[in-house]
Amino acid sequence: MNPEELRYHKEHTWVSISGKKATIGITDYAQDALGDIVYIDIPEVDAEVEANTEMSEIESTKATSSVIAPLSGTILSVNEDLEDSPEIINEDPYGKGWIAVIEISDDSELDDLMDSSDYDKFIEEEAG
Amino acid sequence: MKILILGSGPGGYVAALRGAQMGAEVTVVEEKEVGGTCLNEGCIPTKTLVASAEAYAKAKDLASYGIDFTGELRPNAKKIVQRKNSVIATQVKGIRALFKSWGITLKEGRGSFISEKQIRVVSKNGPEETLTADKFIIATGSRPASIPTFPFDGNRIISSTEALDMQEIPDSMLIIGAGVMGCEFGCIYREFGTDVTLIELMPRALTTEDPEISQIIERELKKKKIKLHTGVKVEKVTTSETGVTAYLSGGKELTASKLLVTIGRAFNTAGVGLENAGVTLDKRGAVTVNEFMETSNKDIYAIGDVTGGMLLAHVASKQGLCAVGNIMGHKEKMDYSVIPAGIFTHPEIASVGVREHQLIERGDKDGVNYKVGRFQYRALGKAHAMGEISGMFKVIADAKTNKLLGVHIIGQNASDIIHEAAVAMKAGLTAEALAETVHAHPTLAEGLMEAAEDVMGRAVHAPKP
Repeated sequence: MNPEELRYHKEHTWVSISGKKATIGITDYAQDALGDIVYIDIPEVDAEVEANTEMSEIESTKATSSVIAPLSGTILSVNEDLEDSPEIINEDPYGKGWIAVIEISDDSELDDLMDSSDYDKFIEEEAG
Repeated sequence: MKILILGSGPGGYVAALRGAQMGAEVTVVEEKEVGGTCLNEGCIPTKTLVASAEAYAKAKDLASYGIDFTGELRPNAKKIVQRKNSVIATQVKGIRALFKSWGITLKEGRGSFISEKQIRVVSKNGPEETLTADKFIIATGSRPASIPTFPFDGNRIISSTEALDMQEIPDSMLIIGAGVMGCEFGCIYREFGTDVTLIELMPRALTTEDPEISQIIERELKKKKIKLHTGVKVEKVTTSETGVTAYLSGGKELTASKLLVTIGRAFNTAGVGLENAGVTLDKRGAVTVNEFMETSNKDIYAIGDVTGGMLLAHVASKQGLCAVGNIMGHKEKMDYSVIPAGIFTHPEIASVGVREHQLIERGDKDGVNYKVGRFQYRALGKAHAMGEISGMFKVIADAKTNKLLGVHIIGQNASDIIHEAAVAMKAGLTAEALAETVHAHPTLAEGLMEAAEDVMGRAVHAPKP
């Protein structure tokens, strides 16, 4: 169910890599667990993000949670549509619901990411 | 006993009524209008504007409540101000009627001491007169503090007083100070459609509140697209025909049609003749008082903002009761141990007792000296039903005894819910006492019970950590 062409981080973010650029979003599992998303604090362009730390905050009708950066880098662009319509993340987490594009600063961090079949297993275990 | 009170704000008028109830002959001298800053230029007028902003916000959001509406919604500044003025007028009448019913004499004019026992009253259109009394209470209050390098001009550079009387909604507004007033006015005008930018010298909005409260309000401001610059100083301000430009430390320039300065309050001690009465001021220019509200002259008391403590209407009222109690021979000390306070942003904020950063600053540790319980508004059915899910309850208790140390609430109706915590703290109760008290369902106050449960790690409606 999770797209094969993407890579996944254990904090339920996905990454689409194109050269030095990486598009980041949250996974279908994450959006489903959060429920209806009412707000996302979109990061600012040019901001530095660090892998495994908070890059954004998401509020749903159930909870307020951190979006954890899967990779380190500099924000090149952000999905401004989410500002007024954060529910796009619920509707299309792997497409129109992307959050930001970063320029990757440390290629070695890519090794820590999972492929889709590993992530499928990971969430199966997490769901217990 | 003859008591003469200078000023009829929430300190002075409450003192007057209690004095009369206790059998004193009371005269109040008021230069402007009964009710003081609180009623005429402060608490009550801002809350009427908050109510207009809330009504507009709900109206814009009718669709989410299942109400179809086709038509134009528009905030009308003139009518909003008219409504505010009529609310004030009703309250002013109420105080005047209470004075009359208790036989309190109101002298309308400016009063100042000409000796330790005499007050000269200069009225607007009546004769001058000299009044005497056995005891005096100074309750002259405070006014908006200006920044000397760019003082208020009443047009481009304004204070809260003008911000309550706007005849049109400005398209943009810079607000210096992201404290209580800055955040309140920011939320009000943003709701009406103004492009609002807050500029704060300190590293966070609402510096005196618990840091978690600041964090949440900062996110809520961002949601409303209110811009916030923290840790910056306004170096210079220039005004023009069309607007005002603020030059920030760090080089940024911001332009807007209005600049609202909310950096604090100045004490009304000038022209009161304090020097003729042997009343001394402290370094900040506030009247020095002891715990009995006595000034350096034992026959003269001072209460409220002019004493420079907590600038809150309800503190002034309590000080007024304390001063009158002492005048009438019931020796009592002013007790500041439990003072709740509300901030009327959207969402609302309320607090009582210690803030977590104060505990950390004195070396206390979470889990060792104190424990924190939290509960989210969005976990309450009532919050969802109301369509107001933002916010949090935070209960700080002693780690060993669970005695309540502080409670902080951000969310719908916070300023009403806080009093449950205030009563509990005044009675020296524990988090268990709050947790074990049955709370009616469905209410927002259930969140306080759950946060108290969470102090012991057993909030029922919170997920397993």
